[in-house]
Amino acid sequence: MAILTVENLRVQFKTPYGAVYALRGIDLALAKGDILGLVGETGCGKSVTGRSIIRLLDENAQITDGKIIFEDNDLLQVDDAEMRRIRGNRIAMIFQDPAAALNPLFTIGQQINDVLRAHASEAREDRRNRIVELLASVGLPDPAQMVDVYPHQLSGGQQQRAMIAQSLAAEPDVIIADEPTTALDVTIQAQILDLLRKLQRERAISVILITHDLGIVAETCQHVVVLYAGRVVEQGSVAAIFADPQHPYTRGLLAALPRPGGRGADLKVIPGSVPSGLERIVGCAFAPRCEHVMERCRQQQPALAEMGSAHLSACFLHASAQYD
Amino acid sequence: MVYLSFLLRRMGLSVFVLVGVLILTFIVSRVIPSNPAALYAGARPRPEQVEEIEKKLGLDKPLTEQFRVYLADLLDGDLGESYHSRRSINTDLSIFLPATLELVIAAVVIALVFGIPIGTLAGAYPRSPFDYATRFVAIAGVSVPSFWLALIAQSVFFSQLGWLPLGSRISRDATLFYPIAAQTGFYLIDAAISGNWDAWFDALHHLILPALVLSAYPLGVTIRMTQASMLEVLSETYITAARAAGLSRPVILFKLALKNAIMPALTVVGLSFAYSITGAFLVEVIFSWPGVGKYVTEAVLNVDFPVIIAVTLVVTVFYIGVNLAVDLIQALLDPRVRLI
Repeated sequence: MAILTVENLRVQFKTPYGAVYALRGIDLALAKGDILGLVGETGCGKSVTGRSIIRLLDENAQITDGKIIFEDNDLLQVDDAEMRRIRGNRIAMIFQDPAAALNPLFTIGQQINDVLRAHASEAREDRRNRIVELLASVGLPDPAQMVDVYPHQLSGGQQQRAMIAQSLAAEPDVIIADEPTTALDVTIQAQILDLLRKLQRERAISVILITHDLGIVAETCQHVVVLYAGRVVEQGSVAAIFADPQHPYTRGLLAALPRPGGRGADLKVIPGSVPSGLERIVGCAFAPRCEHVMERCRQQQPALAEMGSAHLSACFLHASAQYD
Repeated sequence: MVYLSFLLRRMGLSVFVLVGVLILTFIVSRVIPSNPAALYAGARPRPEQVEEIEKKLGLDKPLTEQFRVYLADLLDGDLGESYHSRRSINTDLSIFLPATLELVIAAVVIALVFGIPIGTLAGAYPRSPFDYATRFVAIAGVSVPSFWLALIAQSVFFSQLGWLPLGSRISRDATLFYPIAAQTGFYLIDAAISGNWDAWFDALHHLILPALVLSAYPLGVTIRMTQASMLEVLSETYITAARAAGLSRPVILFKLALKNAIMPALTVVGLSFAYSITGAFLVEVIFSWPGVGKYVTEAVLNVDFPVIIAVTLVVTVFYIGVNLAVDLIQALLDPRVRLI
C-alpha cells in the first residue's frame, strides 16, 4: 500500500543558458512504513525530487508535468494554505547539513516549539514536556537541558538528532531525508541511520532516504530507486537489486564500491560523466557511458520493464533478451 | 555569566577610547595657532590684559599642569566656560542637549519603526513593485539634502496645508499659558510627567516635521540595510527548513529571518544617531530648533574652544554609548557573539 506516489514528474529550471531539464518523468512509490532509498550521482535529480514533493523548489524551477499523490490528493494541485498544513505536519524534511538547517539564533527548544505551535494543539505548558520527550526519543543526552541550548553548542551528530526531533514534532507520516548523514563523520553516520530505522519501526513512519551512498542504502532501506539524469533507470527491493542488478548503470555503481580486502586495487569507475541538463537527451541518457550500447539506445528511450517481482529496469538489453 | 563578562570587557574597551579622545582634544586645542586669552579678552586687547587673562585661565602654566586641571574639572563634571559668552557650558548644554536628543531620538525611532518592516518586506519580495518603490524612497532619503527636504516640508505642511507649525520647540501660547516644568529638558517627557497634556500635544506638533526631515537619511539606510541582509538570510538553509516544517510566512519573515537580518541596520542607525547630534545643524537652523548643532556651529565660527571641546567630548560619549548599546543588543540577539 503506497502512501506517496510520484507519477511522471517533470521539472525544469530556467537558467541564463536556457532551460535545464532536471527531472524527465520520474515514477516512484513509497510504501507505508518503508524506507525507500533514492540514489544517483550529483545532479541526477534526487534532491529535486525530494523538494518537489513538499513543493519547495527554488523560484526558477517549474514543475511542467506529473502528479504527486499523497492520500488521494495531488500535492501539485492543493492550495498554498493546505500545502503549509501538510509540510512538517504530514510530510517532514531532514537536511544534509544540520548546522545550516538549524537557525543559529534560536534554542533547540524554541525551534521545536515553533513547529508544535504551527501544527499541534497542545497548551503552552505541555509543550515543554513534549519537547523534552522528543529530544529524549532521538537519543540526546540530558534532554531537559538540551531544550535551552543553541545549535552551536551541539556536535554535528547532536545537531542532526535535534533536527530529527524537530521533524518528528508534529508526528508526520512521511519524512524526506536529504543526505542526512553526508555532513557527518562515519561513526556518527551509523548512529543517525540506526535512529532513522528505529523511528521508522516504532512510529511506522515512511522515509524517503536521498543518498549517493549505496552502502547506506544496503544497510538502511527496504526498496531503492536508482536515478540517472532525471529518470528512473532501475527500481526494486534492496535484496533484488543488490543480488541481481539489471541496468548497466546500477551494475557500474555497485562495481565502483570499494570492497573489503580489495586494498591497493584500483576502484572501478564508470567512464565519462553525467550529461548536463541543458541538452535535450535523445535515446537512453546513459548510452554515451554504457559498455553495452547498441544503435537503438541512441535513438529511443527505453521504458521501465518488469524484471521479476517488483523489480523494474529501463534498458534495451532486457528487451532484446526477452523478445529475441 | 558569559553575558556579564562580555559586557565588562566591552565597557573596558570604551574607557580606552574615551581617554584617547580626551588627550587628543586637549592637545589639538593647545597646538592650534590662536591665542585663547586674546579671544577671551575681546576686540583689540592690550598685551597686559591678555597676560592677565592667561594667568586667570591658567594658560601660563606648563601643559601637563593644564591637563591635570582640565581632567580634574572634567571629573567634577565641569565642562568649563565659553570664551565668547562667558556662560557655563554645563548650563548651555543642559538646554541644548535635551532639545537635540529629543529630535534625534524621534528621528531614529521613526527610521526603525518604519524602516525595518519595509526593508523586511522588500527583501521578502525581491523585484516586486513594492521592492522597486522602496528602493526609490530609500535612495531618495539618503541622497536628498536635508535642508532642501526641510524647506519643501515647511512649504507643504505649513504654507500650503497649514497642518504643522513652521519651527521652534513649542508655541508661544504654550509657554505663556501652560508652561512646561523643566525636569529632564525633554519637553515630551516633562509635559507627560506633570500631566500637562496641552503642552505635550503642542510639543509633539512642533516635533513632527523636523523629526521626519531628520529621519529621511536613517530611514533610507535602514530600509536598504534590512532589505539587503534579509535577501541574504532568506536564502539560508534554515529558512528552507522552516518552510519545510510548515511554519507560516509571518513567523518565518518577522521572527526567524528578521532576528538574523536586523543587526546591520541597527549598527548603521546607531552611528547615524551619534552623528546627528551635531549633524542635525541644518535642520535645527531651518526649524529654529535650539539644539547642539546650532550651538556648536556658532562656537566654531567664534573660535570658542572650550565649547568645541566640550561638545566633541559629549558627542564622543554618545558614540561610545550607542556603540556599546548596539554591541549589547547584538550579544543579546546572537549567543555566539558573547564568546568573542
